[in-house]
Amino acid sequence: MIRHLIAGIKRGLGLHRPGRSLLILPDDIFLVSFPKSGNTWTRFLLANLVRPDTPATFANIHQLIPDPSGTSKREFSRVPRPRIIKSHDPFDPRFPRVIYIVRDPRDVALSQYHYHRMRKKLADESPVSEFVTRFIAGKTCPHGSWGENVLTWVATRRGDPRFLLLRYEDMVADTPRELRKIADFIGMSADSERIQRAVELSSVGHMRKLEQAQGEKSELIKGSRKDLNFVRAGKSGGWRSELPPSEAARIEAAWGPLMRYLGYELVSQAASQETPQFEPLAMLSTTR
Amino acid sequence: MPLIGQLAYGVKHVLELDHPKHNLVVYPDDTFIVSFPKSGNTWTRFLIANLLQLEPRITFLDMERLVPSPDGQARRFFKAMPRPRIIKEHASFDPQYKNVIYIVRDPRDVIISGYNFLLKGEIIDESYPYMTFVDEFIRGIRSHVGSWGENVASWLATRANSPRFLLLRYEDMLSETAGELKKVADFLGLQVSDSHLSEAVTRSSADNMRKLEKMHGDNWAQNRHMKRKDIPFVRAAKAGGWRSTLPQPAVAAIESAWGPLMSKLGYELST
Repeated sequence: MIRHLIAGIKRGLGLHRPGRSLLILPDDIFLVSFPKSGNTWTRFLLANLVRPDTPATFANIHQLIPDPSGTSKREFSRVPRPRIIKSHDPFDPRFPRVIYIVRDPRDVALSQYHYHRMRKKLADESPVSEFVTRFIAGKTCPHGSWGENVLTWVATRRGDPRFLLLRYEDMVADTPRELRKIADFIGMSADSERIQRAVELSSVGHMRKLEQAQGEKSELIKGSRKDLNFVRAGKSGGWRSELPPSEAARIEAAWGPLMRYLGYELVSQAASQETPQFEPLAMLSTTR
Repeated sequence: MPLIGQLAYGVKHVLELDHPKHNLVVYPDDTFIVSFPKSGNTWTRFLIANLLQLEPRITFLDMERLVPSPDGQARRFFKAMPRPRIIKEHASFDPQYKNVIYIVRDPRDVIISGYNFLLKGEIIDESYPYMTFVDEFIRGIRSHVGSWGENVASWLATRANSPRFLLLRYEDMLSETAGELKKVADFLGLQVSDSHLSEAVTRSSADNMRKLEKMHGDNWAQNRHMKRKDIPFVRAAKAGGWRSTLPQPAVAAIESAWGPLMSKLGYELST
């Protein structure tokens, strides 16, 4: 009851986080991905691109690119339009424009495993194989499994001019080129100097420094283990050396056709020979 | 929202009298009856309600209680429901829904039914340009649950192979009602005799539902806020009406938007 009252008062004052009740505006742009797919990095890139006068930090990112489950309703009301909003949700028909970032699930699993250790949700000695089992079943976060999250967006919005699909790997390989795509998508004319500056202000090295200086001011980091970092390598393909081949094979067996569609090379024998029983992507039209 | 409104909402929230809508607390043993609107969802709810209770006879209000909708009952009601619960939905994919019966219907018929629904609610009237309506339907403009294609694809792409997902076609339910209802009963783990099954079918017939709507349909939350009482909620309950009713350009537009998905579901294309 007390808890309810506090929640009620918070709600009255606009201090609660809107979550799914956020009022979505027709010019909103959503930055969406499954967790641990480069969302925070892209948030920094976007914030530094759009607001070069206010360099993004771990302390202000919740105001610059708000998160319905991390930013209060009151703070939301102060965000200038068009708003760019962070989300990890699977397909939501209310999102008017969506930048979707996808990352190789073998790297995502590894990154989430490290993240859960850092957040003290997993012990150091916790076996990776157990984590991968839960990862495939979609039990490591409330946003669906990796495959469900990606499929719902790709199956509904592929080919739609209101949808921009980016691969984390391409963003790592050529950040200015991919950030240019984002700028075009949000209808922003940015010269290469501005793009370059946003890239530098969002570099792994710079973000790591920011994490050390102000991590405690960020919901993303506060209360985590001090010996592990939120900003990790900022690389792609780490799974090849760090993820046991048997675990990579299980991930490939779960989502082989979708991974192949996204251009992620399959290495396990079973996955590359498998013919999918059901090809959800084949039934969807490209014209809308 | 003005302050009074906020306060009233706060009080309702504390007392759990507000409708949960998107914030329904979901349990893993819940089963959701999901479909795009105007695809036979209410009929299916009636059929299921009749599986759960034969006496006293099911009305629209009983159906709303036995298979409730998150925007039709208070949070308190959902909390007090005996588990496992059966809940109605129109939402596109939601990872929280572990057991899903999804009803799909030929979009060329859905659009006709959707048009009537908009007339009934006086959202548009007969003078509204039909092809504008068709274009809005295809783009999902008036829908809170995505376009027909988005809604269907979001579920099929993720769950089509899952043993906890039952895909039903409205058309099969019409032609083989008892057989399809048996699938539903099995999915829900309900033990029902053949005679109970056929009684449930009879009592959920379009004729019977039409009678029930006349009797107390106006007290049913869904109908209460509908302005035009001359248009009934229960319509023909037929498949393929589009062949004679839907203008050719509308048929062509729908088939060009969702052709592959329609073919996959066994809806033969005409263009």
